[in-house]
Amino acid sequence: MDELELLKKQWQSREQDLPHLSFNDIYKMLLKRSSSIVKWIFYISIAEIIFWTILSFLVPESNTKFNNDIGINNTLIVVNILNYSVFGVFIYLFYKNYRKISITDSVKELMQNILRARKTVKYFVIYNVTATALLLICVNFYYYLNQDIVFKYIVEDFGLSNVTQERFMSMFFLSQILIGTVLIVLILLFYRIIYGILMKRLYKNYKELEKIEL
Amino acid sequence: MNKELEHSFVTQIEENQNIVHKICRLYTNDSEAHNDLFQEITIQLWRAYPKFRGDSKFSTWMYRVALNTAITLYRKSKRTIKTQDFEGVSFKISSEPYDDTTEQQLKLMYRAVKDLNDIDKALVFLYLEDKNYKEISETLGISEVNARVKMNRIKGKLKSILNP
Repeated sequence: MDELELLKKQWQSREQDLPHLSFNDIYKMLLKRSSSIVKWIFYISIAEIIFWTILSFLVPESNTKFNNDIGINNTLIVVNILNYSVFGVFIYLFYKNYRKISITDSVKELMQNILRARKTVKYFVIYNVTATALLLICVNFYYYLNQDIVFKYIVEDFGLSNVTQERFMSMFFLSQILIGTVLIVLILLFYRIIYGILMKRLYKNYKELEKIEL
Repeated sequence: MNKELEHSFVTQIEENQNIVHKICRLYTNDSEAHNDLFQEITIQLWRAYPKFRGDSKFSTWMYRVALNTAITLYRKSKRTIKTQDFEGVSFKISSEPYDDTTEQQLKLMYRAVKDLNDIDKALVFLYLEDKNYKEISETLGISEVNARVKMNRIKGKLKSILNP
């Protein structure tokens, strides 16, 4: 007889060695909070959605005036409306996917549904990073083409007076590029760390399941 | 919360708790983690309980939720070094005379099963629980044929671990 059969034969008879919890022990557990990975993924996803939504609202007043002065405010309003519609679609999709996650599914379905909900949020962030980067590039390109006007209004709106136009513009573009790069690197780092920790085991197990089906 | 529902739920868990304990033993390495996982499984079962229609056996439904929790939802809080917890597991039953070699072999076998990856472990667990391939494949969400093929491969793997 092979060893696994031997183990199987003894498997049920071993039950007397298992711990035994009383009715009250189990009852108390119902009051405890879950610390499941889905809960964490849900919280982090919500935090991400809120973060990006708030970020898009956080435009200082002086900035609006400045954009108005150089004539791109209307374009930005249209971009914003488009942006919020996309937000709405993402939030709806995330909610729908999240609702689909059910512990009573098979192991594979459960994993698929978690990965799908997570993917929606991943795409949401990718969309945001790309949209922000694109907007930054377009606006800066516009600034670059209209340096004289930009400098004129910067002096007017922000009260700068002791720098030359050439010096200011090179500093201006340099800081824009720097801030943009730092932001993107930080986001990527956040992703590697948070999801590396949270999702590593799930991905690994999902891959194992997929391998069986090959 | 509905008191009656709570009562019937806890009673059923109490009756079937061995299933959960066995999963906890296989998927954790110390008693703290064992209790932690047991608690998480109980919470998940309780949450899903209103959806339990009774069209399947409570224990069958329990296997699914418990394995899902152990494999997918449970976050190992810390990486514990593998303790020799299984040494304490006794395979002896008083009615049958036992020789040391068999006992030793069983221990080795249990250790080898514990060292399998999460998915293979689930397969072996259901097999040890005397589930048929149809049930195994439905619980994991793979096809019956593939479950069978995989199980044979695991058997071979275990054999080679025990008889190098």
